[in-house]
Amino acid sequence: MSIPVEHVVVLSALLFLVGAVGALVRRNVIVILMCIELMLNAGNLALVAFNRVWSATAEGAALHDGQVFVMMVIAVAAAEVAVGLGILLALVRNRDSLNVDDVSLLRW
Amino acid sequence: MSRVLDVAALAPLGFVALGAMSILLLEVALSRRPNPEGVAATRSPGPAARTRIGTLLAFAASGALVLAIYAACYLFEAGLQSDFGPGRPLLQLDALSSFAIALIGLGALFSVWLSITYLPAMRILHGEYYALLLLATAGMFVMVSAVDLVALYLGLELASLPTYALAGFNRRKLRSNESALKYFLVGSFTSAVLLYGMALLYGATGHTDFAGISRGFEGGGGLALAGLALMLAGLALKVAAVPFHQWAPDVYEGAPTSVTAFMAVTGKAAAFVVLLRFLVLALPELGDRVEILLAVLAALTMGIGNLMALIQDNVKRMLAYSAVAHAGYLLVGFAAGSAEAWTAVLFYLIVYLFMTVGVFCCVVALAQGGREWDSIDDFSGLAGRRPALAALLTLFLLSLAGIPGTAGFMGKFYLAVAAVNADQIALVLILVATSLVSVFYYLRLPVAMYMRRVRHGEPPETSTSEMVVLALCAAAVVYLGFFAQADPAGMGIRALDLAGRAADFLH
Repeated sequence: MSIPVEHVVVLSALLFLVGAVGALVRRNVIVILMCIELMLNAGNLALVAFNRVWSATAEGAALHDGQVFVMMVIAVAAAEVAVGLGILLALVRNRDSLNVDDVSLLRW
Repeated sequence: MSRVLDVAALAPLGFVALGAMSILLLEVALSRRPNPEGVAATRSPGPAARTRIGTLLAFAASGALVLAIYAACYLFEAGLQSDFGPGRPLLQLDALSSFAIALIGLGALFSVWLSITYLPAMRILHGEYYALLLLATAGMFVMVSAVDLVALYLGLELASLPTYALAGFNRRKLRSNESALKYFLVGSFTSAVLLYGMALLYGATGHTDFAGISRGFEGGGGLALAGLALMLAGLALKVAAVPFHQWAPDVYEGAPTSVTAFMAVTGKAAAFVVLLRFLVLALPELGDRVEILLAVLAALTMGIGNLMALIQDNVKRMLAYSAVAHAGYLLVGFAAGSAEAWTAVLFYLIVYLFMTVGVFCCVVALAQGGREWDSIDDFSGLAGRRPALAALLTLFLLSLAGIPGTAGFMGKFYLAVAAVNADQIALVLILVATSLVSVFYYLRLPVAMYMRRVRHGEPPETSTSEMVVLALCAAAVVYLGFFAQADPAGMGIRALDLAGRAADFLH
């Protein structure tokens, strides 16, 4: 018995919301980063789920569009984290804090 | 179309990507010095040697960009259209993408020239700067030619990731760190939102290519509309339209000025071309509903951008809010949504490139000894010390404000005409009113330069590369101000026609 695709999509929407809310309310940069990863993975989950729907009618190269997209996103997300942690490292060297509220020289 | 042509159409992208790789290798090779014991080892060279290497790398980057621009112009003139992708097109090289590639390449070229003396003056000269700049440019090339969500996402990320690093390039300075961190957090949040929107659009239509989405979109449906809304929000964040503009001033202020110029000019052009292609190719039938949304966005962006710019004392921050306002002017063209309006938008992007690079070049030219003059007070009495620089800065600011006789006026004029013809009278009134407001803050700098007493010591000499950029931008601003449609030099090139040909595929 397979899981209906609606369930997967709803789960991905919930994951996306948890990630988005977390990224907006949490103050620790590492936690914000993790929340953004959660949002990206919610997108991945939705893509894979939709791919299962559409692969029934698609043909040729379009058969795996969603899955190929996911591969690309995973690779990009890894690069993104690398750049983000690099930026964070530069910041922590200058100011010993991971709290975004401490980073507030630039205002208005 | 034959395979050979497909590869030829990728030439601009190839030149820039290869250029980035060679610069990375070249930097390592040039920085290697044998140490006293005679054993080959990497030792960091002194400041003078570093400046020499940096200049060399800047020349290499310029070479790659010039080749890319030349290739794009050739493709544009030849009128080739070519698709690249496995089975179906991922990238489409047509008049619009060649136009955008040439424009973005020119913006990147100017930023490279601004960096030649700015980086040593700010003591942040590292070779990978130019490689990152070229990689970001390559990403924008992919963005503007993408006709598939996968290619669009990859291009967007390739453009964004190096720019995050560039914003934090002055890594010993807390302001630059903060700018990079904010840019990174907002940028990656945006791309996650955009990705989820793409996933929903794919779910609703079963296609990731624009043509397929437009076919599958019929009837709309909740899923498709939700995906569309998320994607539009993501793109609005990228172009810094109100209410998604808060990151722009912080990032513009903290980043090194040469990088700010790069982001302001090329990033904006790329994001607007993407928006154009996406709206027209993927969603042709949604016209009316999106138009209202875009009109509201445009009005808010013009209003808030210009009002917030009034109260800024930092030049870079003021220019950031002015960039927000200009995004609003461009959105007026989107709200009008006619072929005439697309031409006006593309023409405005040309105009915006020259005047913005010009202003930032003036700020860059005043940097020395690890600091730059970025508050309005710093410019006091500059006219007495550097009359030519002050006059040029005034010219660029007048153009940004849209005074007749400058390119900025012509840009706004065509946007307003297109909006009037599309019955968006209210938007035109807001455009004119907010432009009047903008005169106040743009004129604060000339007032300081011409009417106040000198505050600072001798400003640094303007370097050759900066003079070239200033001269080119000033010439373009004046030329386009008088001859947007005419061709007095007999070169057979009319700027407006170029924009019109690029917008041609849309109808």
